Amino acid sequence: MALWFVLSPLLVVAGGALLLMLAEAFSKEGARGGLALGTSIVFAAGFVFSIGVWLYGVDDVPERLALAPWLVIDHFTIFFDALLCLGGGLAALLAGGYLPEYNIERGEFYMLLLFATVGAMMLAAAGDVLTVFLGLETMSIGAYALTAFRRTSPRSAEGALKYFLLGAFAAALLLYGFALLYGSTGHTDLAGIGEAVKQSGEKTPMMVIALVLVLVGLLFKVSAVPFHMWTPDAYEGAPTPGTTYMAAVVKAGAFAMLLRVLLTCFGDKGSMSWSAGWPPALAVLAVLTMTVANLIAGQQESVKRMLAYSSVAHAGYLLVGVVSTMHSQAQGVSSVLFYLLTYTVSTAGAFGALILCGRRGAEAVSYEDLAGMGRRHPPAALAFSLFLISLAGLPPTAGFFGKWFVFRAAMDSGFYVLTVIAFLNSVVAVYYYLRVLVYMYMREPPAGAPVATPMKSGYVTAALLLSAIFVLLLGIVPQSSLEMAIKAASVFGG
Amino acid sequence: MNPTELALGQAYFWVCAAVAIAGAVTTVVAKNPIRGAMGLLVMILSIAGLYLALHAQFLAAIQLIVYAGAIVVLFIFVIMLLGPDVSAPRDNRGRLPRIVSASAFATAGLGAMLLLLRTAPPLSSGKLLPAAPTDFGNVESFGRILFTDALVPFELSSALLMVAVIGAVAVARGHHKSDSRERRAAADSASRTSDLSEPKATPSAGVTATKTANPTKVHAYEVAS
Repeated sequence: MALWFVLSPLLVVAGGALLLMLAEAFSKEGARGGLALGTSIVFAAGFVFSIGVWLYGVDDVPERLALAPWLVIDHFTIFFDALLCLGGGLAALLAGGYLPEYNIERGEFYMLLLFATVGAMMLAAAGDVLTVFLGLETMSIGAYALTAFRRTSPRSAEGALKYFLLGAFAAALLLYGFALLYGSTGHTDLAGIGEAVKQSGEKTPMMVIALVLVLVGLLFKVSAVPFHMWTPDAYEGAPTPGTTYMAAVVKAGAFAMLLRVLLTCFGDKGSMSWSAGWPPALAVLAVLTMTVANLIAGQQESVKRMLAYSSVAHAGYLLVGVVSTMHSQAQGVSSVLFYLLTYTVSTAGAFGALILCGRRGAEAVSYEDLAGMGRRHPPAALAFSLFLISLAGLPPTAGFFGKWFVFRAAMDSGFYVLTVIAFLNSVVAVYYYLRVLVYMYMREPPAGAPVATPMKSGYVTAALLLSAIFVLLLGIVPQSSLEMAIKAASVFGG
Repeated sequence: MNPTELALGQAYFWVCAAVAIAGAVTTVVAKNPIRGAMGLLVMILSIAGLYLALHAQFLAAIQLIVYAGAIVVLFIFVIMLLGPDVSAPRDNRGRLPRIVSASAFATAGLGAMLLLLRTAPPLSSGKLLPAAPTDFGNVESFGRILFTDALVPFELSSALLMVAVIGAVAVARGHHKSDSRERRAAADSASRTSDLSEPKATPSAGVTATKTANPTKVHAYEVAS
């Protein structure tokens, strides 16, 4: 019984998905409006069960070790379960408004959301390279299909094809790296690999090549520069709720995998040293990711594409947090976890506000589309502003504390240059976030241009309200969630 | 194991490996798609041979049934549906970038392999690995492991298959449904539909207001499909 209990977040989402699939198959055409509601309820149940397991104390359930080494259920896993369910639920609510509006309401979208989330939860729990790969593929295939969902749109097809080909290639590199790791250590479980790496002490070329291949595969999934090429196209081609899902859930799942694999396999002092380890490589890539993505984001004419590049830039800030695990694993990991939480609600809100600002035949995509929004539709503009301010990292929103803790973790680890670069980057980013506000509040649409009117949908409004509550709560009283992040990070010790 | 057996085993390995590489090269360079599919088939067969040499009988059988039996046949079906004389569209990239990138990748790959080969622990012919247990790789032992030790990943892989099936359905259905819808929408308002593929090049009737004013700006409204 206790085993079912610790697995319940995963099982609830998977079982709920199966039930909804049956319900969808037997429902009449046109009577499927409840699917979004059902999906949101399943995600909410997953969230509630994660919180329940967390409060019960997952360490008190000895049966969880029966799943070892395949799945590791600890506070880190449960934290991610809650986070992934939150992101998935927000995406499902947005889809409930978006899909009927644009006449692409089909049940598969919700099933893809649910099953891809199951994959992401597997990924967060994975303790063996086999389960890492299974979870990763489950999540990625769902994301490919979400990108290709609006298939008649050439942009959707192009983004999906790019994402699929590059993603398959990155998965192959990751597998190659895992194979070499197995060859050099004789283990497939992450803990066993970590032990063997620690024992061997010196680094063989085989291990280094394996590490490089694994890093490339992992960094592709978190879309760090120079492995980000697919991101803007896939994000732009996907229906906006799908984009929300990729920016929130897929990114969080990929970071869960990155942290777990790197810190479990290569977490000892030798392989983390500045002269021979992975942190310097990640630090260089973090700087590249932030800088390149912010510079390109500033030049975009499409708000959706700007938000796509901004999600790449956020991956850069997150990598700064990952690098600072070098000196204090607990502090670095907890800053990454807290940042992921703030980023999930902010980015879901920002994409949701973009959805709210358009309607059928007039989807808001460019800055001009948003002109005059502030005067004509104050609530929509206000919501958009709140989430953009949070993404920019200004107080009193969640984004401010997210950045604050990551930068502080980097400072405490002695990475002053890295922190300064990250800080300068977040100043650059303010420019293009505030540009949206300028258009909304200070520009008027050119005469004769079609005027965007917000769509009316209870689902989208609910998603925006929920994210707004989280953004403000995390921005004003971050204490309790930060404590959760610290407790989740404590599984990595030292 | 006596020297003759060892030599035979090595000869078997080299033949299989050489045929596999020849098949892979054919797959990549063949201009005729049927010839490419046949190259793939040859490669798959010889890799099944390598699995046999490693005592992985079950894997070899699966390789034959799934890859040679199903996947290559599917490829050939698709090629035949499209017509066997279709060829890939011409590659417009210059010769130089192709040669440079190919040689860069080849150098990196071969360099890494050479490094691995030179630093791998030596495995002289006198020091063989311990013999595999007699039931290694056959169906019974494979099944036993699959349903006992590896039960968790086995169950989890059902989610992977499920998401792949749903994804395929989602992509395939998207085509038909929105096709008919699009036609209806086009009948509704013929002027509003615009081609998404070339938003900048072809100004369309409904959205010209911003675009003619400033043609370099991106398409103001994306018409939903």
